Amino acid sequence: MSEKVSLLTARIIDNRRVAPAHFLMTVRLPLSFATPFPGQFVMIRNDECDGPLLARPLSVYGFQRQQDHAVMDLLYRVVGQGTSLFSRMIPGEELCFFGPLGKGFSIPTGVKKVLLVAGGVGVAPLIFLLHKRLLPADGKGIMETIFYLGARTAELLTGLERLCGFCDLKICTDDGSRGYHGPVTGLLKHDIGGFDAGDTVIYACGPKPMVRAMGNLLQDAPFHCQVSLEERMACGLGACLGCAVAVRTGEGKTDYRRVCQDGPVFDLRDIVFASPAGP
Amino acid sequence: MGAKIRQESHNNPCLAVAIGGLELKNPLMTASGTFGYGEEYAPFVALNRLGAVVVKGLSLEPRSGNPPPRIMETPSGMLNAVGLQNVGARAFIAEKLPFLRQYDVAVIANIFGETVEEYQRVAEILSGAKGIHGIEINISCPNVNKGGLAFGAHPDAAAEVTEKVRGETDLPLLVKLTPNVTDITEIALAVEAAGADAVSLINTLTGMSVDVELRRPHLANITGGLSGPAIRPIALRMVWQVVNAVKIPVIGIGGIMNANDALEFLITGARAVQIGTANFIRPAATMEILDGIVDYMIRHGIGDITELIGSLKTDPSGGDEDGGAC
Repeated sequence: MSEKVSLLTARIIDNRRVAPAHFLMTVRLPLSFATPFPGQFVMIRNDECDGPLLARPLSVYGFQRQQDHAVMDLLYRVVGQGTSLFSRMIPGEELCFFGPLGKGFSIPTGVKKVLLVAGGVGVAPLIFLLHKRLLPADGKGIMETIFYLGARTAELLTGLERLCGFCDLKICTDDGSRGYHGPVTGLLKHDIGGFDAGDTVIYACGPKPMVRAMGNLLQDAPFHCQVSLEERMACGLGACLGCAVAVRTGEGKTDYRRVCQDGPVFDLRDIVFASPAGP
Repeated sequence: MGAKIRQESHNNPCLAVAIGGLELKNPLMTASGTFGYGEEYAPFVALNRLGAVVVKGLSLEPRSGNPPPRIMETPSGMLNAVGLQNVGARAFIAEKLPFLRQYDVAVIANIFGETVEEYQRVAEILSGAKGIHGIEINISCPNVNKGGLAFGAHPDAAAEVTEKVRGETDLPLLVKLTPNVTDITEIALAVEAAGADAVSLINTLTGMSVDVELRRPHLANITGGLSGPAIRPIALRMVWQVVNAVKIPVIGIGGIMNANDALEFLITGARAVQIGTANFIRPAATMEILDGIVDYMIRHGIGDITELIGSLKTDPSGGDEDGGAC
């Protein structure tokens, strides 16, 4: 994992709407910025504005080094004040920016087949994983990769241009407007019997109900599954302890881990779902 | 912590302050629970430049804290209900303190207990550890059922904890006060009489926020502690009240985001300040604030920060000065 965290001012190169309430922002970074691992995130904030106080965590969607600078793509959905403010920013404006943060995805040895399961804007870290780790330079995969992409409606599907032609793409929409009619976990449930848990690894990212459905779906199927979680954060650095997630620890106990530092990528089987009373 | 040489120079002002036997190189401290155990911020902050690091509240045994969601942003602030998640006093000494010992910075251990005895035990354990320079008693956490606020809201209970912890340690003893009381000066006077070397205030104000779509509180704990700029005027008012009530040093805390905010507290009479929520927002906030205080002192020709502390002018004829450098 990348140890070096940069704190800097980043200039927006591009910021455009790619689907209703979904935006793709590209920022310019110095070459000194550490190359993020897929699954890692950055914290960004508009310092010029008296609006939201806290920085917002956004997972890395793309990262490329150029001759004298680097560029990062961030795909985000407008969910509240912070992201709404980002969506109104224009090229040339600057962001307070720090990262890369957190623990990304890892690829176990002996894997022959990869299933990527994305819900909504959860597509971002998985597309970065696909392009960074699963595709060799010539565009032909070493591992067989199947991408399950789900959204509420066809017009909310994002990232298609980075998926079509790069992997076997299976589209699902909640309203049936494109592809499989139902949640992405519904199609996966239908297909899962055709995969061998011995050589297949699953990576997932999406809204909480999807992650929970993944947990139920794989309860009795011994697939290795890494999932990137989302939680409200204040610092992103492991200090505020705001982004707690309940996990099973080695001794069969339950304890909280920090999504920002211990994650955001966790083993699906370690996550304890619905613990209203806490551990 | 060697003795600090008091240098008075217009370009290199002296920032050293004393808090009940604790000599700090400057009045800037990190607030408990907002700076982890120091290590989390080392990439952004020159820890040696801080007056003190107040570490995350420590209890006798590790605590796992409250269920999520634990935080919610609110206008000009945030609610948190972390519930004092911490590694426990012994693990802190074994695993976290060695990192801080590498730095020339005062380390203040914030302590918490569910009973007076637990406070005493934690204080005793920490007082024996090399590299801890002070104890801050947390009698003001609003997010736990037992202890915390129960001690901080009543003068007699606050005095009892202070007196018992005082009996366990020779280290400088700070008591962190809650604003969730009718008269904070009563509590401040009670802990002063019980042997506190300083009081730090304010801890968070109890607050609440609701998701109207779901008709659920935003926090699993339902209520949480409000911090950030939203509470700053209240904190400043309480610091003013306490400064006028007690003789021991007062440490100002509450929504300090920049040098101007820190100066408000110092001028009002706080001997030192703690930076909390600002660390979350701008990881290098403490360094920016320190630089800003130095700039201010140079601009105003103030050679020693003690000239600034408590220099608030309240005479009725005032208010038409030009406010610039004298």
